[in-house]
Amino acid sequence: MNSESLLKPSPLIPASRPEIIQSLIDGVDRYNPDNVSILEEYLGTQLQTEDYDLMANLAILKLLVFKRSILASINQYQFNPHLVNEQVINNILVKSLTAIPNPDFNLCLYLLHENALAEENVTKLIELQQLLEECKYQEFWKVYESDESYKELTSDAIGFEDAIRKVILTSITMTYQSISAELLSSYLNLNTDDEEFDSFIQSRGLVNKDGIVLVPTNYDNEAKPTVIRENIKFEQLTKVIGYSNEL
Amino acid sequence: MYNEGFAEEEVDLSDEVDLLTPSFPVVEEDLDDDGKSASNDASATLHGVYENSFNRLTEKFYMKTPWPEADFIAPLVNDGTNSFDSDGPVGLELPNQWLWDIIDEFIYQFQSFCNYRNRLKNKTEEEIVLLRDNIQVWSCYSVLNVLYSLITKSRITEQLLVSKHGGDMIEAAGEYGSRPLYKMLGYFSIIGLLRVHCLLGDYTLALKMMDNIELNKKALFARVTACHVTTYYYVGFAYMMMRRYADAIKAFSHILVFIARTKMYHTRSYQFDQINKKGDQMYALLAICIALCPTRLDENIHAHMREKYGEQLSKMQRGEEGLQTFEDLFLYACPKFISPIGPNFEDLNSLTQAIEPHHHHAKIFLAEVRHQILIPTLRSYLKLYTTMGIDKLAAFLEIEPDKLRTQLLIVKQKSRQQKWISGTLLEGEYVATSDLDFCLKQDMIHIAESKVGRRYGDWFLRNINKFQDIIAGMELRA
Repeated sequence: MNSESLLKPSPLIPASRPEIIQSLIDGVDRYNPDNVSILEEYLGTQLQTEDYDLMANLAILKLLVFKRSILASINQYQFNPHLVNEQVINNILVKSLTAIPNPDFNLCLYLLHENALAEENVTKLIELQQLLEECKYQEFWKVYESDESYKELTSDAIGFEDAIRKVILTSITMTYQSISAELLSSYLNLNTDDEEFDSFIQSRGLVNKDGIVLVPTNYDNEAKPTVIRENIKFEQLTKVIGYSNEL
Repeated sequence: MYNEGFAEEEVDLSDEVDLLTPSFPVVEEDLDDDGKSASNDASATLHGVYENSFNRLTEKFYMKTPWPEADFIAPLVNDGTNSFDSDGPVGLELPNQWLWDIIDEFIYQFQSFCNYRNRLKNKTEEEIVLLRDNIQVWSCYSVLNVLYSLITKSRITEQLLVSKHGGDMIEAAGEYGSRPLYKMLGYFSIIGLLRVHCLLGDYTLALKMMDNIELNKKALFARVTACHVTTYYYVGFAYMMMRRYADAIKAFSHILVFIARTKMYHTRSYQFDQINKKGDQMYALLAICIALCPTRLDENIHAHMREKYGEQLSKMQRGEEGLQTFEDLFLYACPKFISPIGPNFEDLNSLTQAIEPHHHHAKIFLAEVRHQILIPTLRSYLKLYTTMGIDKLAAFLEIEPDKLRTQLLIVKQKSRQQKWISGTLLEGEYVATSDLDFCLKQDMIHIAESKVGRRYGDWFLRNINKFQDIIAGMELRA
């Protein structure tokens, strides 16, 4: 039995992070607007793969938002409202959707300027985020497929739909020990008759048995009553032991 | 880094400070005396003067206005931070308290100016034009530049690494960093950045600043009470915004215990009111965190929180109607956020309807609270049973069974939190933070509650002591 939760925080240092990015985000170079292209390129590779680097993406957002402030401080301020590349912001938000239930999406929003939240694409992504955070998975797919614009919005992130399915499947495996295949398939927006459904759930060790999907027990779905025992440290006893030596 | 930014800004700010300069000379004499003793290595005396005489002077001259910044005091005591760009380190020593106040005040001025600039509603056209034409004044970037420069100059990061892993401290500290003045300014700049990044909404970077600082009583920040309190306030706040409520609770209760215990010692300090206000805000934040993540607290802290925010706490656990209370407490206790860009002077419409930065943060935070607003109600039902059908519970709650399933998924996710175990503040693993757990087998909920076992340690210790006393008594007689 695994003693660790199925949930994993977004890694502070992903294995896929190149050295140049590491040194960039560690130092004051993270504020140098010349470096934004290097970081954006790195975001490009994240979009092509399953790699995900929250810290680097937050650095991009900060740079974009700060550009105006930076230019102001060196007296090169230009009144150009389109300095901020909206597509980059959208792609970072899309990537952070796949990290739910980690707080990444909100950590990105906190960094953005309050007006950015009112932009149409950001509003749409927030709508998707809310549905995922509220575990309204069927509704999520309904909204996602209701309008081509959602698919377009997430199209830069290769494998977005499967990444979301993984988010959902994690939530289900944490909660259920067994679940009807029909319900599970509606959460995942897959058809029970499809081979894709079976292969997808099998990749997580789930078994479909006559319409009931069995989930192996794990740290999160075990729900075993436990008794928290006190932990007496040696230091607590030094006084007593010391005293008994004197006797 | 772009060093030019900061120098320009100083000039632009001088208007505000000019008002204060007439009263400078009086204070100067005082400082000059102590300036000598500082060089004579009597910074203990200086500390006393700073803590006491300074307060008297403040009352006398600066009752309604803050003291000027370090850079303006600097020339009066022959030297100071301005000479950071000069050829060598200055030979001045100042009490830690004072150095902390320099950094603290610097950020306070920045924060106040940004808030002033952001509120354009009641400003005259003249003021708006002035602000628009001087957009570089107090830009976030130049403030960050100053703090990062102090860190670099003092080589404080290198010094902290050596004190943690060993090595040659003199080599690590370098010419500037080996002097307490620079070392401590660098150190306090780290705490300053923790604060500034929080004000800008960059919570991960805020905690990352603390990578080389361990949160314990021996840490340097604990030497200055105001710094100690500030550190924990922002660490706790950043954790809260990162959904790490258990870690936030730990940080808040730690410092609140400290404040409660040392209350009598700092009643005379000029920071007394400020520390009390921060403490009060932290009780409010603690109440928010406890509502989201019920946890057993230190008894005194618990009693104090109940006394102050007991009513609000029970409201926050009562579903939808509690949302307003969450918002009220959040807005009362959050730091004064800064908009990284400031108002858009180009678009005149947006000038009047600009959103205050704290509403921006509150909005995102409250959306998160809204997801979990039904959890306390659900928990209270689950606690009563060991197994229960979905349909039955849905009927109790008067909601659709499907909606209940969704709610249960939320309860499960929210019952796990990233929690610090070891390493830097940002590290942590997901663990169960609730005493109530459950699982679903199709349509049946199986509930498990963890209980705290009896504590034997105390009982045995007491009886061992008693026994030893008896033996000792018997031996005396014999």
